[in-house]
Amino acid sequence: MKRITLLLAFSLICLFVSAQSADEIIENYFENTGGTEAWNNITGLRYNASVNAPIGEIPLVMYNGKDGSSFVKMTLQGNEIIQIAFDGETAWGMNMMSMQAEKKDSEITENLKRAIKEFPDPFLNYKEKGFSVELLENETIEGSECFKIKLTKMPTLVDGEEVENVTYYYFDTENFVPILVEAEIKSGPAKGNIAQTFFSDYQEVDGLYFSFSFTQGLKGQPSQTITIKSVEINPEIDKSSLIFPEG
Amino acid sequence: MKTFKIILILIVTTISIQGIAQEPIRLAGEELFGTMRARHIGPAVMSGRITDLAGHPTNSKIIYAGTAGGGIWKSSDGGVMFNSIFDDYNQSIGTIAIDPSDPDHIIWAGTGETWTRNSISPGDGLYKSIDGGTNWKKVGFAESDHISSIQINPNNSNEVYVGILGPLWGDSDKRGVYKTTDGGEIWEQLLAGNLSTGCSDLIMDPNNPDILYAAFWEFRRTAWSFNSGGKNSALYKSNDGGKNWNKIHNGFPEGVLGRFAFAVAPTNSNILYGVVESEDRSKCGLYRSENAGESWIHLNKDFELAVRPFYFSRIVIDPRDENVVVKCGLFGSISRDGGKTFKNLGPQHPDIHDIWFDINNSDIIFSGTDGGVYQSFNGTATFDMVDNLPLSQFYFVSVDNEEPYNVYGGLQDNGSWYGPSSSPGGVEAGDWKPIGGGDGFRAFRHPTKNIIYSEIYNGEGIYRYDLDKNIINTIQPFPEEGDPKFRYNWNTALQLSPNKPDRVYVGNQFLFRSEDMGNNWEKVSPDLSTNDLNKQGQTNSGGISVDNSGAEMNTTIYCITESPLDENLIWVGTDDGNVQITMDAGKNWTNVVSNIPDLPANTWCNHIEASNFNKGTAYAVFDGHYSNDNNPYVYKTTDFGKTWKSIATSDIENFARHIKEDYVNENILYLGTETGLYITIDGGISWVKFTNNMPSASVHYIALHPKKHDLVLATHGRGIIIIDDISPLREINQEILQKKAHFFESTPTVIWEQGSFGGNSTFTQFVGRNPNRNAKIIYYLKKRHTFGKMTIEIFNSNGELVGKADPGKKKGINIVHWDYIMKPPVVAKGKTYSRGGFSTLQLPADNYKLVMKKGKEVYESNIELIYDPNSSISLEDRKLKFDLSKKLFDLTQDLAYLVYEIDVITEYVNNIDFGNDKSSKVAKSLTSELTELKKTLVITTGDNYVQAADPELREKIGNLYSVVVGNSGKPSNTHYKNFKMHNSAFEAAIVKYDVLKKKQFSKIEKFVEKNELPSVTMKSFEEFLKQ
Repeated sequence: MKRITLLLAFSLICLFVSAQSADEIIENYFENTGGTEAWNNITGLRYNASVNAPIGEIPLVMYNGKDGSSFVKMTLQGNEIIQIAFDGETAWGMNMMSMQAEKKDSEITENLKRAIKEFPDPFLNYKEKGFSVELLENETIEGSECFKIKLTKMPTLVDGEEVENVTYYYFDTENFVPILVEAEIKSGPAKGNIAQTFFSDYQEVDGLYFSFSFTQGLKGQPSQTITIKSVEINPEIDKSSLIFPEG
Repeated sequence: MKTFKIILILIVTTISIQGIAQEPIRLAGEELFGTMRARHIGPAVMSGRITDLAGHPTNSKIIYAGTAGGGIWKSSDGGVMFNSIFDDYNQSIGTIAIDPSDPDHIIWAGTGETWTRNSISPGDGLYKSIDGGTNWKKVGFAESDHISSIQINPNNSNEVYVGILGPLWGDSDKRGVYKTTDGGEIWEQLLAGNLSTGCSDLIMDPNNPDILYAAFWEFRRTAWSFNSGGKNSALYKSNDGGKNWNKIHNGFPEGVLGRFAFAVAPTNSNILYGVVESEDRSKCGLYRSENAGESWIHLNKDFELAVRPFYFSRIVIDPRDENVVVKCGLFGSISRDGGKTFKNLGPQHPDIHDIWFDINNSDIIFSGTDGGVYQSFNGTATFDMVDNLPLSQFYFVSVDNEEPYNVYGGLQDNGSWYGPSSSPGGVEAGDWKPIGGGDGFRAFRHPTKNIIYSEIYNGEGIYRYDLDKNIINTIQPFPEEGDPKFRYNWNTALQLSPNKPDRVYVGNQFLFRSEDMGNNWEKVSPDLSTNDLNKQGQTNSGGISVDNSGAEMNTTIYCITESPLDENLIWVGTDDGNVQITMDAGKNWTNVVSNIPDLPANTWCNHIEASNFNKGTAYAVFDGHYSNDNNPYVYKTTDFGKTWKSIATSDIENFARHIKEDYVNENILYLGTETGLYITIDGGISWVKFTNNMPSASVHYIALHPKKHDLVLATHGRGIIIIDDISPLREINQEILQKKAHFFESTPTVIWEQGSFGGNSTFTQFVGRNPNRNAKIIYYLKKRHTFGKMTIEIFNSNGELVGKADPGKKKGINIVHWDYIMKPPVVAKGKTYSRGGFSTLQLPADNYKLVMKKGKEVYESNIELIYDPNSSISLEDRKLKFDLSKKLFDLTQDLAYLVYEIDVITEYVNNIDFGNDKSSKVAKSLTSELTELKKTLVITTGDNYVQAADPELREKIGNLYSVVVGNSGKPSNTHYKNFKMHNSAFEAAIVKYDVLKKKQFSKIEKFVEKNELPSVTMKSFEEFLKQ
């Protein structure tokens, strides 16, 4: 009898799991992490984080705004280093040798502009953004069965050419949150490798759920974890600090 | 409605979990192995066999290389770097095709190499990618074994033709030419072969997709013979998309033909070249047609054009000039006069299987060889090897007891080598040393001496290489009066004794034993094979092209095992299916193969593993694929072979090649199969495929390091792959699996004190990864951690928090690497960085407590750090080092606080509006003197490169700190004196600061108090350190 019950239960699970469409999975994801309305109300996100490096724990602050403004800032020996800042028009960062601000190349800037609409989550209103999704076969990731969704965003520029911008998301079938994102690296010495980011430690912040642990690396190679200490929703940001300091 | 669904799912999930709570947990794949990961050390110095090259039709940067046993590799930069893109699938590649109308996305791969030597691996079907090779889906032909060709209509992506060569070792009715018109969903057979004749090549006229040419080849291998050719070998043409076919042999020789190579000139569809294998040797070689195959003219029968058709049947025409033709071959040859004459290609690895001309420049040519991909930039005059393709095809691997240990093995067409399991900067090409030529096979290090044994094919050379004296002796036994001809296997049985260091075994049909490292031999068996004369006709093997390379030598001893528990107990397995045992060191032998149930007769015995636990226990692996049987045959006996029990299960997807018993837990067995590694932790009741960074490569041999507990795999196409320290598997049991989390027992970690300046590889060379030297925190999670905070903190034996580690979250075994370094000191803020301030001090030996917090749950364990017992550094010296390091650490932080105080006061004073008060003069003096003082403490100008200012106290202290913590052993007198000088300088600075504070800042404070202004806010030292 127990066996029959189990089989029935398993069949029901399979039925529901297999019945999921990409849109249902995305809808469930937003519902399970705070609701679409709450996600739509986000205008800015600041992550206070740290990363363990051979030189010790490095504090990081990362910010993304709806208007495209963003920065990544780390602190070393009391000095704040802007790794990248973007005010919606110009992207720049500090040279570690000269400690001076330098503009990023035009391709990075253009790609940042194209990525503005991804905020706060590329799946949010993805159709309006011109993105497309495709549900692929389920895969097991880190022991969890996952829905695999191919997300195609607006093309990016790589070495002067428009290139398809595809990312693969793996949503845990149990709770519909992504636990892995993969994308092929399109330029630089790691070109052709697959970049992976694993997500875990989802925690609630003002009614929304965010991953508090990102583990990043190339597929098949060692990775590094960014640990989120806190997430601030719609924080006050001095946007003048994101403007490239001329002279 | 959706809410209802979710609730229902939750309910049935709960039922399901409750229902299985009492059932044994069986974990598969990464569910069990968690973050245990395979480590690839290559090498790429000799690379491995390339079977097919394909390039993007409009983007010269994109090139694909199909390999014999290493999957598919893609270059996106014109062949400088290649990345593996087919790890999860069958690694034997027959052909790759890029859709001409959607080349960025649609890639087809036919598995199963078609260069049909004895050692090739069968494929398992046709694959398609619609995203440029990132993801793959099998679309059919699972039983095809070897797919030779894929042709795609350039005007219609859904119209694809496939040529199925079919199985090498047996009959098949799947051979032929197939077509799909719906992108691979439904396939129609257009032209059938027969049970032994398959499509060896299929080409579409580049200018007319309705015109197809198909070569059919009659062929067959057995374990003891090869046949190329038959009356069914033929070249066909269709003018109507494959509906109708006609033989196009006008001008070809009559009689029995073999394998064809042919090509259609991209610039002129009427020009065809064909290479014909014929029983009439005078008519072999190159033919040319100038009327699209209506007739052929024999042009050339040079050696390179007729050589080994089963291995080299490919010709490639320059896409811009129909008179430039390259014939693949032993050295390869090129004609620039339409095939009339040829010259050899420039120097590169021999055995060339495919050529790719750059789409824009015919002087740029890629070749695929037995030794990897080569590139010519000068029209074949010279070739450069691509250095990042670790495709080495090992037949065997063994290890030694050096530190780090070395691995030894031989490779297909690439000799024998040994190299370190780790090396400064990673395992580089230069770390590998050759120890034999030709095709290499088994290689061992003498257990106690600096001597290596190695061999080449068919026992033609078994070498004893004295590394100390650089002396090489050839030691194989020769026949003596009355002996029959010796039959040594291609992969000759060579084995050392686990009991006697100088003892060596060699097997032909007889077993030979030497007690003096091969100087003298004793025959210790009769002919142990079946001695079936029908399997000994190798001189006539090859079919219409005799091919007596020795690869088909049969009725030989293939494996020899002396029991580690009894030197008189020896097992021998033969390639014709005998399992022989002697319990009296060779006086008497018993063939026990008939006791093995359900084993087809004469199945090749690949390996016998004598148990480390019981004398009567052994494991035997048989390889049926030589008889077209891909079932795994894995058996265990516990009574010296009287009875056997199969321990192969349906978990194992392909035939088995090797088995290794664990040294500690007899229920753990490691099984090398044709498509990957399997592990059982329950004695063979169930098997789990290991997939963490482990491709589905053919695992020919397995070694297990007795001290490091590393599993070392000889793959035939992906080099040496190591799984570091498999000891956690030894602890796995059902009790642990039922727990939410479980820390495994860990052996003490030896603190790594070695340093190096790294290696010398260039950026484009493959470098094998070193093992992680950090301490390993190993635990099991029943479920992946996704929600809630998870941390690991480490406390020393005094209960002080000394470190953190980033936890692994995977279901199954997690291995977290802890770098056991002290957090670096808080360094004074300056204009630039103090490089020395980034230095870190290793924590001392201690028994540390681990606290893992997972949501509200807390788990604790311990991890011990110890010093290397062989280290020459005394504990007293270590204490001296630690004490001075700690003083410098504290001094760095004290200085940081002093600078902080100066900065705070300076800023505070600068922000006060003194008006006309006389205090403003004091303020000016104070800030000026503080600024001057600060300039002596930290760098306040310049940059981090060549405009750097002279070092100040912070930099000087940091420099000394980095030297003291980086050095091994106690500090020297110069370090102490230097410390004393800096400490004095710091104390002087403190005095000066105190004076300024007392004499001048006190006046400011009075002004502030009088004017009721806010007082200065200064963090305490402890608060400052916490920032």
